[in-house]
Amino acid sequence: MSAAQVANLSAEAVTIEERTPFQLVMNRFKRHRLAMISLIVMIVILIITILAPVIAPFKVEELSVNDYFVPFGTVDTETGRVHYLGTDHIGRDYFSRLIYAGRISLTIAILSVIISEAIGIVVGAISGFFGGWLDSVLMRFVEFMLTIPQLPLLLIISSMLLRNEDLIPLPESLLNFVGDIMLLGPRDARNAILIVLILAGFGWLNAAQLMRGMVLSLKEQTFVEASRSLGASNYRIIMRDMIPNAMAPIIVDGSLGLAGYVVAEAALAFLGFGIQDPVPTWGNMLAASQQFMLDRPWLPLVPGLPIFICSLAFNYIGDGLRDALDPRLKL
Amino acid sequence: MTAYFIRRIFQMIIVVLISAVASYALLNLAPGGPLAGLRQIQQSNRFQITEEDIARIRAYFELDLFLPYRFTRWLVGEPRGPLVVGGRDYFSDLVVGCRVPIETEVLNDRGEYESIVSGCKENVQLKDIVGRRTSRGILLGDFGLSWRLLRDRPVSDLLLSRLSKTLQLIGLSTILSLLIGVPLGVYSAVRQYSKFDYIFTSFAFMGSAMPTFFFGIVMILLFSIIPKDAGWPYVPAGLSESVRNYTIPIIGAVEAGSLKDRSLHLLLPTAVLTIVNISFYSRFVRASMLEVLRQDYVRTARAKGLDERVVILKHALRNALIPFITVVVFTLPGLFSGAIITESIFAWPGMGRLYLLALGDYDYPVAMAIFFILAILTVIATLLRDVLYTVADPRISLS
Repeated sequence: MSAAQVANLSAEAVTIEERTPFQLVMNRFKRHRLAMISLIVMIVILIITILAPVIAPFKVEELSVNDYFVPFGTVDTETGRVHYLGTDHIGRDYFSRLIYAGRISLTIAILSVIISEAIGIVVGAISGFFGGWLDSVLMRFVEFMLTIPQLPLLLIISSMLLRNEDLIPLPESLLNFVGDIMLLGPRDARNAILIVLILAGFGWLNAAQLMRGMVLSLKEQTFVEASRSLGASNYRIIMRDMIPNAMAPIIVDGSLGLAGYVVAEAALAFLGFGIQDPVPTWGNMLAASQQFMLDRPWLPLVPGLPIFICSLAFNYIGDGLRDALDPRLKL
Repeated sequence: MTAYFIRRIFQMIIVVLISAVASYALLNLAPGGPLAGLRQIQQSNRFQITEEDIARIRAYFELDLFLPYRFTRWLVGEPRGPLVVGGRDYFSDLVVGCRVPIETEVLNDRGEYESIVSGCKENVQLKDIVGRRTSRGILLGDFGLSWRLLRDRPVSDLLLSRLSKTLQLIGLSTILSLLIGVPLGVYSAVRQYSKFDYIFTSFAFMGSAMPTFFFGIVMILLFSIIPKDAGWPYVPAGLSESVRNYTIPIIGAVEAGSLKDRSLHLLLPTAVLTIVNISFYSRFVRASMLEVLRQDYVRTARAKGLDERVVILKHALRNALIPFITVVVFTLPGLFSGAIITESIFAWPGMGRLYLLALGDYDYPVAMAIFFILAILTVIATLLRDVLYTVADPRISLS
């Protein structure tokens, strides 16, 4: 700003409007145009999947026996409903399945993020706060887990857990609850929950490292010392001083994590080790479409694009959040 | 230095042992396993399967032995029979397993019949397993015999037959992506905020967000299926060589199994892996280069009038590549596990696909062998990284 411009500013223009930290973050986030677009796209996708039963013209497993692979926009002769994206190889409505699949895939990703960040926060906070042998054991474990190639491990574990229904007993109420969110029966909900547990079981490592780093640096800050001298317990210091102040990198990690989980869940389903066919997910729809792409090249694009769009959007949102929350932050 | 290596090797052995136990337990604690299919056949009444058949098959898969014995036989090839000391057998009556378990059908709360093992009709004693085939133990490099994929052939044969294909694919794509990705990252960092940097970083960002399986399919569509339908020159996709001869417009006739054929098949999977890796490597190099370029010693180098190229390549790049060591070293286990997804899309007969097949087909010896080697390679890579760090940066010391 040149000197002339400064001189021209009136008193009102100089007074800065008071803003809450949330507003500050929102303003900085809005400046990241791609992140804003991504946020809007994701909100639209989320609303569509939430309204799945209202929007989808067909039921998930509704077969039209003679109408397999009908082209886009074919009208069902009996009921007048439209197959917006045609039907798949056994005559199920592609568009409806896509929406229901999105609901399942996104729920899995969101649940995985919540669980893995929670585990990461707890482990990282304990590890950083108490230090000593506990810290070195935990961090050694985390480092080791981060070095093993993840996909082979994910595959081996999910192939074991999904094939043996009784290996991990899950409470009926949990099955019903998650089943209601995903519009699945308790039996299929079990597999979805297992996938969440598997993904979260490997996903907390990064969050733990971030949290530990934040706690280590916060421990030296004067406000923590102040709390302590006022007689605050360890639990109170961790809950009130450490965790709220260390949330920035965790939030960024979480939104990048959403992208990772959408892709990981799709990859498992694609390779045949995730949620299996009658239940639609973007991954297993993509895998099924691969068999028919010689004759119908557009078929894989339908379930593939949403995976790509979600992954890209969550990455951009994470990028935008990182810039908005703390530009110096490195992840 | 020696003490450090001894300590590290000791740690490595422990980690490898733990992962062996873990992978074994993972695959063997679960019920069902290789007998799951058999039970279905038995229930469907299509074939008469007697109790004796099941006992024989259980013995074939060693399922008649208790888990600890099975594990030690897998790990070190023992016990093979009674302990012989001075011509006398010891422990020959020790019960090590159950040949025919007593199973009772129970109606569970879901309303399905479930068989529950309630006892043992016929025990297996240590003297019974004399002469049974066994591997020399996975610790001694014998991975045993394959159960399903290549029945009764050594797992190591199976691994070796796949190894070269994986090495071709991953080796080539790693080298290519290093050769392309590192210079791109450096250039983009040196020209930060330029048009090139902007376009390049957005592409790299998209590349790293793109799921490999979707990218692979899009590549097949773009370069194989669509051009083939249109009668343009196309690239064959799927398998590592063709079964019969074919002609491609412009390129001409291709003989199945010839060098030309194999190179053409290598093209698409290599491209997919290379592009994915480039976006990963170059983002890493760019970030680390930007960090280094801000350092005082780079300013000093410029201040004393060094050629900009020398500053970038000698002073900056060398330091920027130190954190990159980790990334490169851990391609070692990656080399082995292969690119599971890419190999499965292109039906490339490499390690990654073998692993998938083995897991899908209950061929546990194969899956465990791959997983075990993977653990060892990871541990070696960790050691290698620490050693290379000290070589690259004398300020870091071992221990």
